[in-house]
Amino acid sequence: MNLKKTSLFEEHVKLNAKMVPFAGYSMPVQYTSVKNEVYAVRNNCGVFDVSHMGEFFVTGKDAISFVDYLMTNSFASVPMNKAVYSPLCRHDGTIIDDFIAYKLTPERVLLCVNASNIEKDWKWITSVQNEKQFDIELINSSAEYSLLAVQGSKTIENLEKIGLEIEHNLPYYSATEGHFQNSLVIIARTGYTGEDGFEIFIKNEMVETIWKKLIENKVIPCGLAARDVLRLEVCYPLYGHELSDDVLPNECNLNWTIKPEGRDFIGKNSILNSQQRSKLVKISLDKGIPREGYPVTLEDKTNIGVVTSGTMSPTLNKGIALARLNIEKFDSTKPIFVDIRGKLFPAKIQVKPFYVLGAK
Amino acid sequence: MSHKTPGQLLYTNEHEWAHIDGDIATIGITDFAQSSLGDIVFVELPDVGRVVDQNETFGVVESIKSVSDLYSPLSGEIIEVNNDIESSPEQCNQNPYDSWIIKIKLSNEDEVQSLLSSSDYIDLCNELS
Repeated sequence: MNLKKTSLFEEHVKLNAKMVPFAGYSMPVQYTSVKNEVYAVRNNCGVFDVSHMGEFFVTGKDAISFVDYLMTNSFASVPMNKAVYSPLCRHDGTIIDDFIAYKLTPERVLLCVNASNIEKDWKWITSVQNEKQFDIELINSSAEYSLLAVQGSKTIENLEKIGLEIEHNLPYYSATEGHFQNSLVIIARTGYTGEDGFEIFIKNEMVETIWKKLIENKVIPCGLAARDVLRLEVCYPLYGHELSDDVLPNECNLNWTIKPEGRDFIGKNSILNSQQRSKLVKISLDKGIPREGYPVTLEDKTNIGVVTSGTMSPTLNKGIALARLNIEKFDSTKPIFVDIRGKLFPAKIQVKPFYVLGAK
Repeated sequence: MSHKTPGQLLYTNEHEWAHIDGDIATIGITDFAQSSLGDIVFVELPDVGRVVDQNETFGVVESIKSVSDLYSPLSGEIIEVNNDIESSPEQCNQNPYDSWIIKIKLSNEDEVQSLLSSSDYIDLCNELS
């Protein structure tokens, strides 16, 4: 298989990163130690090359209303420069992907989508445009744009050290356009680690300069493994794990993204009238490490669900997971277990994310 | 990247090492294995007294992001397990050749001939790197 490479591929190799196939790309999974990379983000600052992710620009008179129709969350109602997270749903309410939309100007919106879904999302979004006659132009800039996620409490200092002008008061989940050495950059106070941090969208030809400066300034390069652990510690869902083509937003703890009042959006009727079949829960184990695919059971081994993502949390030093439970089989008064290689390990369900500090 | 591969030990294709002393084999995972796995956070040990065949799974080693089976290099009875590894699995990363996992009383000493020498194992690691 011919894997695609991001503009930073050679830099990753120079840093001895372990490269793995991911969404059709050769991506760094870790550089030194997943644990150290997680700690770097939680305590200081780390940088991820996430250039494999997709960037679509929506421009034109109807850009905002188009994106508002595309997502379950409300986009039209938020102020300029805000970023909005939402699932991307079909008319039957099932999930195509999740994405973040950045309201850059009244007529220019950036959509950031998962790498594995770029083609699928593009096909869907263009079909919606054709269906509804929105006055917009859609541009798939995924191949021209790189994306760096610089995450952690010391991010602002580090970005300033390398000469990137950062608006200190930029609210969390907002974006602004700026320049770096005469190249246009989009700087967003977003990320998927639960920490304060910024995502920098930049044309491919400039990304190496920023990356090298960050590394020279001792920002720790972090791989996909650390990113997955970090997002799981704060219980952010991930497409292909918690989110999939078979589930509805209310089955993924995404009720908070469904804003039906006074607006129309794709899948609205299906989502509002749907019967919830399963729920996503946060579980932690005092002993044992839950992994994706492990069964969740009652004490008598009755299967009631499955782990959708699981890991050993370096921050909490215990096994944590998100698990999908069958609503009919789940009884909140009965203890639940994770079946790890045939042995049952008690699991605790909790309401809050495993890690709650960090992001503003 | 070069990995430590002590000459006095024997190795398997599955990246275990074995130290043979008479009819007792002491077994652990190699420097290459620990480096490939990354931060080791859990080792599942077998029960003492269990009899294993050569290449049979006897336990599991888990890093933050992966789960890997451990394969017995030789047949025999497990006579001792290293309980310290259970409480401090990171020792496998720090000192893979001091961090033995099990000891086996061999039931077929001829099987020792099938294990890899350190130079053969270095070749294998170079192919995989």
